[in-house]
Formats: sequence, structure tokens, C-alpha cells
Amino acid sequence: MHLFLLGVSHRTAPVDLRERLDFSSGDLSAAAEAIAGRPSMSESVVLSTCNRSEIYVASSDPAQAREELVTFLSDYHHVPAQAFQPHLFALENSAAVAHLFRVAAGLDSLVVGEPQILGQVKDAYQTAAGKRCVGPVLSNAFRWSFGVGKRVRTETALGEGAVSVSFAAVALARKIFGRLTGRRVLVVGAGEISSLTAQHLRAQGVGDIVITSRTQTHAEALATEVGGLAVPWEGMINALGSADIVLTATGSQRPIITRAQLRAAQGHRRSTPLFIIDVAVPRDVDPAIGEIEQVFLYNIDDLKSIVEENLSRRAAEVERAESIVNDEVTKFMAWQRSRSAVPTVVALRQRFEAIRRSELQRLEGKLGGLSPEARARVDEVTRLIVEKLLLEPTEQLKALPDEETQAAYTEAVNRLFRLQDEHNPESSKQT
Amino acid sequence: MNTLPLLLYAAAGVAYAIHFARRDAAVGRTATTLLLFGALVHTFVIGMQTMEVRHVPFANPSRAVSTFVWLFTLSYLYLELTTDERAMGVFILPLIVGLQTIPALYPGMEYQDAVLDSPWFWVHVSSLLFAYASFGLSGILGLTYVLQFKEIKKKHLGYFYTRLPSLQVLDVMNSRAVAVGWVFLTFGVIVGGVWTAQARGIDPTDPNLQAMSLDDPKIFVAMLTWGVYSFSVVARRTLGWSGRRAAWLSALGFAFAMLNFLAINYFVTTSHTFY
Repeated sequence: MHLFLLGVSHRTAPVDLRERLDFSSGDLSAAAEAIAGRPSMSESVVLSTCNRSEIYVASSDPAQAREELVTFLSDYHHVPAQAFQPHLFALENSAAVAHLFRVAAGLDSLVVGEPQILGQVKDAYQTAAGKRCVGPVLSNAFRWSFGVGKRVRTETALGEGAVSVSFAAVALARKIFGRLTGRRVLVVGAGEISSLTAQHLRAQGVGDIVITSRTQTHAEALATEVGGLAVPWEGMINALGSADIVLTATGSQRPIITRAQLRAAQGHRRSTPLFIIDVAVPRDVDPAIGEIEQVFLYNIDDLKSIVEENLSRRAAEVERAESIVNDEVTKFMAWQRSRSAVPTVVALRQRFEAIRRSELQRLEGKLGGLSPEARARVDEVTRLIVEKLLLEPTEQLKALPDEETQAAYTEAVNRLFRLQDEHNPESSKQT
Repeated sequence: MNTLPLLLYAAAGVAYAIHFARRDAAVGRTATTLLLFGALVHTFVIGMQTMEVRHVPFANPSRAVSTFVWLFTLSYLYLELTTDERAMGVFILPLIVGLQTIPALYPGMEYQDAVLDSPWFWVHVSSLLFAYASFGLSGILGLTYVLQFKEIKKKHLGYFYTRLPSLQVLDVMNSRAVAVGWVFLTFGVIVGGVWTAQARGIDPTDPNLQAMSLDDPKIFVAMLTWGVYSFSVVARRTLGWSGRRAAWLSALGFAFAMLNFLAINYFVTTSHTFY
């Protein structure tokens, strides 16, 4: 049985094609079920995110599986096969396993190390498992991949540091205030970055989010979106006085918050920390405010340079992550081989045990005169001899370096000990 | 006897440093385990010495240092285990190891004197040592606050930014450590005064007791230390001196405390020479 993978990703296909082949809008489990029901495939998992659509299957005939999958994709998405054929990538066995591990580790993501992908891989697997579409081939590979994802996360800094402006702002807020529960946020000017940042802050459990904009309707729209409170533009300075985190993003040509205004607004709260995120260009906040002892003022360039630094730090970790993935692929393949040696080992043991029993039976007459203790001793000794004889061959069979060698050894062992003759229905059931 | 805890503290120090540099959780747990084990052995050492001289050993400066290290370690462990923050360990452990080297190298004999056979003595010294332990924590917290503050304020998010706790957490922990230390310092000084008055009644000729006045450097610096921390406590509440100012104050206060506890205690004082 082979592990076969066919798919498109952000590396091989443009976004419009990925959109047309996207499964996530439809019923993923039904798709997995439909695939696993095809003649050449016995297991299937469909992994579909905005950056990839990948189908993992267990198949006895990968070439056949490929053809059937192309037909399936074309029928399912109503896209002619020639439109996506050149963008497909197909991988088998260890290459497919390596790909799955790299995906789970976040190495194949558009933003390297992003954390969502591991959850998406788990969901894809669970969905397929819920429909009984996974068997030993895929379940072993996927379960192993979860461990790889976790290992890369804990042993490297691949997923560390915010890689978007809004997350960088939230990470900074957390380093200033610790837990953000109950902190008051003031958003001045409703734009995309302020909306994203406000949502991230909300997710961190901040208290009131007060939003103001020159256009009251914009403020109200954002307030509804993030569960905040819209106040009129005139109330801005007043709200400034009680805020812990201020986010400015207006289109104003001149600074809208000056040092004197802030001083006046803060009054007795001067000694409490204030984090100001100014993402407007030109800047909304007078840079001189950054000189105030307890004010931490970051503009869009500051945040962007943090993001760039984090990205380059992640890039530096890629090599370590790749070597972890390679290490895990080697371990997984070795484990797979040791598992596939099990039926031969069991057959071999049964053959030896049968010989031992029949010999003991044959000698029954001669052993008849022995005391029960002595007979038990004979039984034990013969069993130990068999164990010792089989110990080394068993270990060797489990540790063979590749599949071809393993097939050759299995064949040789089968012939040497005529194991095929032993394969009666009962013993094959046990294997 | 003080060598075994020293070795364990040193090993814990190395583990904390590796944990800080590599941010490896398993090494961090090892560090804490080593420190806990060191504290346990140290507790045993202090217990033995207490049984030997029938009061907690601190009438001799070396033994007092050992007892201080013990209290300091326990205070730090309390802080670490309640906040689950291990990053401070790398700053605390060099202090612990450095100080514990003194009793390990110069064990010293416990001085016994009728004047010291008083519960006041015990309360006086132990509350001061505990105050110093709190101040030690606050000094280190202040130092790390300044390191973290610098990186965030100057927008150079680097080595310490990712490793140290948030400014708010450091500031709050610092404020608590100062407050606890101040209470024990005040109490310890008052008890010292009461005890001196009583002891003068027992043995008016004792030269130590005669030297008990503000003219003695040890008492003078102790009052100075008290002044710094009192100002810190009051300024935080009335002038809003939190953050970096409070951090520097706690570092300054701890410098005074250590000056008194080590340099003056060993070489200068005329009043506290019970050995």
C-alpha cells in the first residue's frame, strides 16, 4: 500500500485557480468519502486552506489513483482537467510524508511558521476519520505529523514574533501592560489596521474600546464590528485622558494629538503607562509625545521594522526546522518498515513454535517417565532455545534500511522456512 | 557545611542562565528543581546550626550571610512559583552564589553572649534579614525593569524584550517587594531600639551597647536605607513615582542595604561586633 498525495498549493498554482479548487466551502467529509470509495484508493484525507488543496490517499496503484483523482477534481469543482493539470504536484510515500510533515510544521506556509496550519491539518484528519475514511497508512502519517508540528514549534523559533503590524502592536501592548484584561482602548480614525488591531485587542480581553472618527458613521460601523463605543469627534481629547492604549489612523495632514493636549487630558494619570500606536501617514501624534517618561509611542515604520526583523528571524530558523522534519521522516519510515516486518516475524515464530511442539509430542513416550518439574524444565528450555534463535533475525528484519531490501529479505525468509505453506486462514488472521 | 548548598546554587545558576539564553522549558524546570534542592539542603544546614547554638545562627557575620542567602532563596522561590516567571533567576542566582561563597569559605563560629540570649535579638535580626531579602528581590526587579523599559522605549526590541516579563508585572512585583521589605525593616529597627534599651539594663558596660547611636556607621546607613525605602513607598502613592524612578530607587536602596550588611558589618561598625 502506498501513500499518495495530489494537490495544488501557493507554490504551484495562482490564487484564482486555488479558489476554484477549494474544498473548504463545501462538505469536506463528503469529498473525503467520495474519494475513499474509488476503486484504487482505500483511505483519504482532504486538506483545504486558502493556500492549498491537497488530497492524501492510500492506494495500491498510485498511477491509477492519480488518474482517478484528476477526474474527481474536475467533476467535483466543474473545472476542466487541462486547466489545473500543469499546476498539480504529486508525491509518493516518503516524499509525501515529508511534505505532510513540512506542512504541519508551518514550513510550507505562505508566512513561514504561522500557527493555524497545524490545527487545520488536525481538523482535516479528524473530518476524514469521522467518516471512517482513514486506515493505518494515513492515520499513522497524520498522527506522526502532529508531533512533528509540535516539536518544530517547541524546539525552534519558527513561529515566534509577530509578523503582521496589528499583531506586533498587540504583542507590544502585552509587554507593557502584561495581561490586557480591563485596559481601556481609544481608536481614533477607522481604517483596516485599526479594525484588525482592535479585534486582536478585543480577543485579549481589553475593557472598553472607544472609537472616534471625523465621520461618525465610520466610527459607528467599527464600533459594531469590534463591540466598542462610538463617541463624537469632539470627545476625543476627553477619552484620551482615560485610555491605556491609543490607536490613531486618520487621514489628517497635521498632528491631531499634541503634547500639550495630552498633558492636559491626562491630568493626574500622567504617571500611568500609555501606549500609542500611530499608524497614520502623515503621523497623527506629535513625535515629541514619545519623550514623555511613561508614554510608549510607535509609528507605522517602527511596527513594520519589528515585523521585518521577526520575519528574518523566522527565516533563520527554517534550516533547523527542516532538519527536524528530515529527522522525523527518517524515523517514521524506519518505524513503518519495522511494522511491515511484523507479519513475517509472526509467521516465523509460529513456524518455530509448531516445530517445537511437534518434536515434544514426538518424544512424549520417552519423556513420559520424567517428573512434572523435569517436564516443565524441558518445555522451558526448548522455548528459550527458540526465542534465542529468533531474537537476532527478528531485530534484523525490523531494522532493514529500505523497502526493496525488506521485500527481498521477506521473500528469502518465506522461502527458506516455507512460511507461505504455514499461512493457513487462522495464522493470517492473527497477523 | 555551607559548601553543598553553594554547589547546588551554582548548578542552578548555570541552568537558569542556559534557560534564559535558550528559552528551553525543560532546562528551566531543572533549574527550579536544583534551586529547591539547594534551599532544602540549606534549610537542613541552618537547622543544624540552630540546634547547635539554640537560636537561628546570625550573631556571626558569615552565618548571618548564610541565613540571609537562605531567606533570599526562599523569597525568590516564592516569587517564581507564584508567578511562574523564571526569567529573573539568571539575575538572582549570581547574587545568591556570590554571597553564599562567604560562609562557604569562612564558616566562622557563633558568638555566644548573655546579651544575645533574648527573643528581641532573634526578632530584630530575622526581620532585618527578611527585609534585606525583599529588597534584594526588588533591586533585581528594578534592574530588569530598566532593561525592559529601555528596549521598549527606544524601540530596539532585542534580547531582553522576548525574555523578560512585562513592565507592568515587573513594576507591581517591585512595589510589593519594597512594601513588604519596608514593613520588616521598620519593625526590625524598632525592635532593635527596644532591645538595646533593655540590654543596657542588663549590662551597662557592654561596649557594643554603648556604641548604639546614629554615630555608628551601621546604624546611620540603616537609617539612610530606611529613608530611601520610606521615600519610595510614599512617592509611589503620592507623587506617582512608579516605573523607572521606582526601579532606580529600589536599586539604590538595595545598594545601601548590601553596603551595610557586608562592608560595614565586616569592617567598620563599632556597635554590632558580637564576635
